[in-house]
Amino acid sequence: MKPLSEQDHYEVLEVARDASGKTVERAYRLARATYDDDSLAGYSVLRDTDSAAIRERIETAFRVLAEAESRRAYDASLRADEPDAEPALPPEDQVQTVLDMEAPPAETGIEPFEELGEEPGGDFDGPRLRRSRMRRGLELDDVARVTKVNPTYLRFLEEERFEELPARVYVRGFVTLYAGCVGLEAKLVAEDYMRRFDAQRSGSGRRGAPS
Amino acid sequence: MSSSFGAGPGLPRGGAPLARQPRMVPVGGGKGGVGKTFVVANLASALARMGYSVVAVDGDLEAANLHTCLGVSQPVGSLADYVAHREEDLGKLLLDTPIPNLRLIAATGGNLATPQPGHARRVQLLRELRRLPADFVLIDLGAGTHPAVMDYFMVGDDGVVVISPEPTSVENAYAFLRAAFYRRLRLSMVSHDVRRVVTLAMDESNERGIRTPLDLLREVRALDSAEGHRFVETMRSFRPRVVINGVRTGKDVQLGFSVRSICRKYFGFDAEYLGYVNFDDGVRRSVRSRRPLLEVAPRCDASVYLARVAKKLAGEARVAPQGAPTR
Repeated sequence: MKPLSEQDHYEVLEVARDASGKTVERAYRLARATYDDDSLAGYSVLRDTDSAAIRERIETAFRVLAEAESRRAYDASLRADEPDAEPALPPEDQVQTVLDMEAPPAETGIEPFEELGEEPGGDFDGPRLRRSRMRRGLELDDVARVTKVNPTYLRFLEEERFEELPARVYVRGFVTLYAGCVGLEAKLVAEDYMRRFDAQRSGSGRRGAPS
Repeated sequence: MSSSFGAGPGLPRGGAPLARQPRMVPVGGGKGGVGKTFVVANLASALARMGYSVVAVDGDLEAANLHTCLGVSQPVGSLADYVAHREEDLGKLLLDTPIPNLRLIAATGGNLATPQPGHARRVQLLRELRRLPADFVLIDLGAGTHPAVMDYFMVGDDGVVVISPEPTSVENAYAFLRAAFYRRLRLSMVSHDVRRVVTLAMDESNERGIRTPLDLLREVRALDSAEGHRFVETMRSFRPRVVINGVRTGKDVQLGFSVRSICRKYFGFDAEYLGYVNFDDGVRRSVRSRRPLLEVAPRCDASVYLARVAKKLAGEARVAPQGAPTR
């Protein structure tokens, strides 16, 4: 295991050399949170000077890897140092995206927990929506910020409090937006969810639109 | 009730031959109350549901309660009998549970004056545990970093550390990992001088200012390059797995990734983020009903997460496509 001083920028951010711009940015945000002075994960083992030194390396690494031209130059220097290595470069536009975008909260979430794989099939019900959100490390407020849907309604969606949700057309819209935000196939999710919604609410009166 | 090893219901679905040696999965965490017993009971239940032959061992001789979580109210015979030499055959302490494919070695009825086995007995116990007739042996470890706890944790390469998203738990988890790593390291080193430096480094206030395994590696390399090589190998083979239990927010989910990063950057070894389990009121209900959550409420979020962690563990056992583990 290399000490921090010997790690390259990819190792500092803990990403593969062919990581996309989005992956680099997510890794950077996670690293910044991890080595913050108030970090739950770090405060008990890291001294302030440790955290500061690591943060400095993280900032430098991100500055180099987030910008297409500097990343290309850096990769070339790595190749020169390691003639046998063949780091794959991501498409230029992918890297450039990081510079241009003001990442919406959905992008600030961690990668989905792919190491554990998707959960086995079954209906896309409220609990499954919640689990998908958690898997990306997103709070309800993050989803609300992206979808512009009131977080109370989002919580009702997760808890399947169908009677407290507004008219069907709105609910379908909410579900579609929610699913898209947490990386699910929106059409599939909406079909599943609305089937449950309809079964539950069949015969009951409709409520008004959200104010 | 539970099947005998290698026969009928004990076979994973698909019916291929079983492994000869069980996969050892000790579960620790340093701090009490973080959900180690809950995690063991439910992972054992999940693996048994998947068709594996599982033995859950209560390694907490000072505060045994795995039997209660598995619905065995008054165990007849326990690990304490083995520790006190009242029973020499660990296999005779296997108890059926209400869950098919899952058996238990309880830890009730211990001697409070000398609950932990001495070193020689511990070595025997670990050897016997590896001979148990099962696909998986899960061991519920007590709190703290007693050498006995550390030895159980190192019985296999699949040690799991349970952390709850609270400062006290995270702090104790690092102490636990540090203790486990240094103990493993000391056993791996050959040179007397190097072992002495390792022992010195185990004192966090040591006068040489060795704070981390990476600091220690520098010292060891300076003393003996061959030992330095062994050190690095030990570091590479130390790969604890982390489960975050009781998550309520997305930030809590991220904690596992952060702990993994700190293990890598600060301690110098790789920890694996095995999974997380959400905070769930059903957990308390399951403990009250003295059955694993997966048996009481298999569809609730926490059960889904636990089943996912179990699947990951089984996957790491290099399960053959038909569902039979191979080694």
